[in-house]
Amino acid sequence: MSVKRVQTWELSDSESESDSEGNPKRAYTHVSVKDGNTLSVPQITEARLGHGMRSDAIIVLEEDAKDALKPSKRTETNTPSPGKKRRSRDEVDTDRARAEEKKAERERAKKEREKKKEEKKQEQQQRKEAAERLKSYRPENYVKCLTVRIHPVLLQDGNSDVLSETLSELEWKSCIEPHSLTHSITWKRSVPQEEAEDGEVEEEQVLMVISLYEFMDVVQSVKQVLKGDSSRHEKSGLLAALSDHLNTHTESVVTMLVMGSGQHRKRGSWYHSHGDLRSQLGMQDVEIEEVLVYLELYKSVCVHFLYNWKEVTDQVCTYTKALSKRPFKALSECTELGFCVDGSWAGGTRVERDGKGLAEVWGRQIQQLNRVSPAVATAVTSAYPSPQLLLQAYEKLDSEKERRALLADLTVKGMVKERRVGPEFSARIYRVLTTENTQLVLD
Amino acid sequence: MSSELVRLGRKRALPSCPNPLFLEWLTELRDQAAEKGLKTQYVYQKALSSLKKYPLPLNNGKEAKILQNFGDGICKILDDRLEKYYRVNGPDAPIHSLPSGVQASGHCSTNLDPSKASSNTQELPGTSGGDHKKTQKGEVRREKGARKKRGYVPQKRSGGHAVLLTLYRHSQVPDSKGFMFKNELQTESQPLCDKSFTVPDLGSKYTAWASVGTLIQRDLVLKTHNPARYSLTELGLVVAEQLESGEREEKNDQKVEEEKREGGEAVECPDTVDLTLDDDDHDDEGVSGRLAKRPSPVGPTEESPTEESQAVEHGEAAARGILLPGCYEIILCVDFIETTGGNTAGKPDLVTELQKNGVTFDIRKLNVGDFLWVAREQVAPDPGQLRPPTVRELVLDYIIERKRMDDLCGSIIDGRFREQKFRLKRCGLHKPIYLVEEHGSAAAHLSLPESTLQQAIANTQVVDGFFVKRVQDVKESAAYLTIMTRYLQKLYTNRTLHCRSRELEGDGPRGAQVSCSLMSFTEFNHGAVKSKCQTVREVFARQLMQISGLSGDKAAAILEHYNTVNRNLGPALSRTVYQLYCTKGPLS
Repeated sequence: MSVKRVQTWELSDSESESDSEGNPKRAYTHVSVKDGNTLSVPQITEARLGHGMRSDAIIVLEEDAKDALKPSKRTETNTPSPGKKRRSRDEVDTDRARAEEKKAERERAKKEREKKKEEKKQEQQQRKEAAERLKSYRPENYVKCLTVRIHPVLLQDGNSDVLSETLSELEWKSCIEPHSLTHSITWKRSVPQEEAEDGEVEEEQVLMVISLYEFMDVVQSVKQVLKGDSSRHEKSGLLAALSDHLNTHTESVVTMLVMGSGQHRKRGSWYHSHGDLRSQLGMQDVEIEEVLVYLELYKSVCVHFLYNWKEVTDQVCTYTKALSKRPFKALSECTELGFCVDGSWAGGTRVERDGKGLAEVWGRQIQQLNRVSPAVATAVTSAYPSPQLLLQAYEKLDSEKERRALLADLTVKGMVKERRVGPEFSARIYRVLTTENTQLVLD
Repeated sequence: MSSELVRLGRKRALPSCPNPLFLEWLTELRDQAAEKGLKTQYVYQKALSSLKKYPLPLNNGKEAKILQNFGDGICKILDDRLEKYYRVNGPDAPIHSLPSGVQASGHCSTNLDPSKASSNTQELPGTSGGDHKKTQKGEVRREKGARKKRGYVPQKRSGGHAVLLTLYRHSQVPDSKGFMFKNELQTESQPLCDKSFTVPDLGSKYTAWASVGTLIQRDLVLKTHNPARYSLTELGLVVAEQLESGEREEKNDQKVEEEKREGGEAVECPDTVDLTLDDDDHDDEGVSGRLAKRPSPVGPTEESPTEESQAVEHGEAAARGILLPGCYEIILCVDFIETTGGNTAGKPDLVTELQKNGVTFDIRKLNVGDFLWVAREQVAPDPGQLRPPTVRELVLDYIIERKRMDDLCGSIIDGRFREQKFRLKRCGLHKPIYLVEEHGSAAAHLSLPESTLQQAIANTQVVDGFFVKRVQDVKESAAYLTIMTRYLQKLYTNRTLHCRSRELEGDGPRGAQVSCSLMSFTEFNHGAVKSKCQTVREVFARQLMQISGLSGDKAAAILEHYNTVNRNLGPALSRTVYQLYCTKGPLS
């Protein structure tokens, strides 16, 4: 178990160095565990010991410094003393050399301290920047750097006003710009100059808003392609425009919003809109489905049927929100752990300053092992009300076998039939608490 | 040691069962039942199998109840026998490691003087099963004692033997990565093992792979990481070295044998194993199982030789992990849960709809997702074999999660929504599809507002990068799946498929319109098991997260070398963590 001692003093902004000294509560933050990714419970204990040793070391170091001062004082007082026997030249030389050495040592120590101070300052600066960056990633802030770009073609429909009105109500930036794909709504995001020359980046999501009538055009083109009749396939149609766009923008993810004739949907029948619109196409379901599957498989285009501009506007809003959430979600999604960190198990128990609540944490910790019921966890926590007590119990046993089986005979209460904890689980919890190989598979 | 080496693998090296008495009594009960042709013999057999796998000593019959296949009845019988045994051998008689001299069978030991028997046992050390006690019972016992002393050595050509040897040989290769993944270990061990690592024998649910569990129990093999990595422990290395040198010694003998064999029939293998001596109790195999047992290894790459040259070529391609065009078909796989959905009467269910549409589909348990497609190798069944030939299956890149609006609503509320997406993202298939059934009227009674659900769907597309497909109802879902199946069949005509191991080669390239480098279905489904084996690291991270405010990334930061990471726990959290682990007394 290699617990590497402190390399840099990590201190939170609120605390001064002296405050932290001899404060075992914060011991944990001071100790770096250098041994790669291994840090198990006993290592924390170890780490704490490590810290204890280290703070001793600091004290020792300070005493050294005092010592370093003492003899030099003595030298100063000694030299002018007339009554004393003249010391040999050698002695004087040695003393001087020693004094110089100590001086140099002091200088070194001073430099070291300054260096550490500097490092600390830099680290604080970095942390501050990171915090600010994090803040700017919050969806409510991030949405401010997004601009909704609307293709002018879409404004020809007078009903599209609702879109720009809604966007300005929400105080989101929008602009009208003829861009790569006709009938489309896209997003650009402003970024620092070093990331992109013109200070903005195009998001990959594209909404292509077309009418039912225009969709029929797409359907016809797809059908011709499917017949293998691509020669007659118009090069000017919407499908061609879409294909051209996808060829030049390989990252683009296009969603086609197919809009009905603008009538208001019946109350409460929102979920029917899709089917209603399909029936308006006057095609068989299978035919439409074929076209949709073609667009999915060959163009990765998703088609969504909507009634009117209000619904399109709602979609634009949900997409904008989704885009604004994305960076923050990417940050907080923790991939290095290898499991989903969201879930009912992950809530966490509130712990007070005095440690109240830890008993519940300990119980819930035991339940984090696979196939452990609350009753089994309770059996363990009532026998060993803290991890330390359990570790101590392990230490008292002589053989590995005994330690493994320590919990096996605990009785699980509250079941219809009385049960034991069982050797399998006993061995597992023993491993979790004591192994040094954190990659060990438990089951 | 060397004197024993010669015998390695020849005789069954019994793993020392810590409960020999129970073992003996159960065997006896089973044999008695079998003699009378009673069905209870199977009950005893099952209990025996569980007992043999159980590594710890049991103090009484009641304790045995925690084992699989131990009911109240068996436990009672064992306790009765135990009582008799104590009466005969004295209350302190050891029951865990059977000294050779002690008469175990309670019912016929009345001829022994109880006090004598107990004094016999007291002389003996409880654990080493003294082989020096040669006076009373026959040869068999003594031999058992001798074996026990040598420790566990798996039988030759058994799963355990093959795995140890393979790991050993792998570790000896320069620049070896020091561990093996499951698939490569299975593939490379297969030639050394008579039993298949992937397909259980008829009538059995175990493959030779089951013995790896034994090796881990016995501290010979170490299983770490996720996906699992296998390596030898120090002890395992010693044992494997013995096996290897044993192998080498026998090679000369084998050469002679092989020469003989080449003259005769190639199929006849003199080394056919006695099944009852197999490593992981498959004694429960029926007669048919024995018949089906082939002396030659049955690996996934193995092809039954036929005379047609095409088949030969095809077989060779299969061995290289390639499926040639025309030699496979695209099949829709449906998770079995889709078939058990408690649909109210009258509502069309998906499977019926698919059948109506005439799609070829296969129902199986999918560990992630609801639908996917496999390219299944077409292999003509070999009339000479009872077991159908092993068929390769590669998974296409598309995987569908089907959600009705009310499901979506429920899963958002209870947190499954994120979990499922997380698993879909990491399953190794690059084109996850969220199939949303909007279902008209049900929507009115949902507990989340429409805008929340719409946002969740948009997030699934924008943030998670899934393809979102919206349909009205089950019927449309079935139509969609049907047409997807047909299109994929079309898309995959004339394509040569390569099998890519995710464990060995990592994820394939993303974004390819039609991917031809595909994972095997087995690897895919295995990798997606939900309650996958936990590593210590994972448990520890989850444990830390039980403290409010300790998020996943903070737990990860603690797990990594803590203070080099630019991540501060803050004084309050670190105090709490400290209190949790370092409080000497009970926690509050």
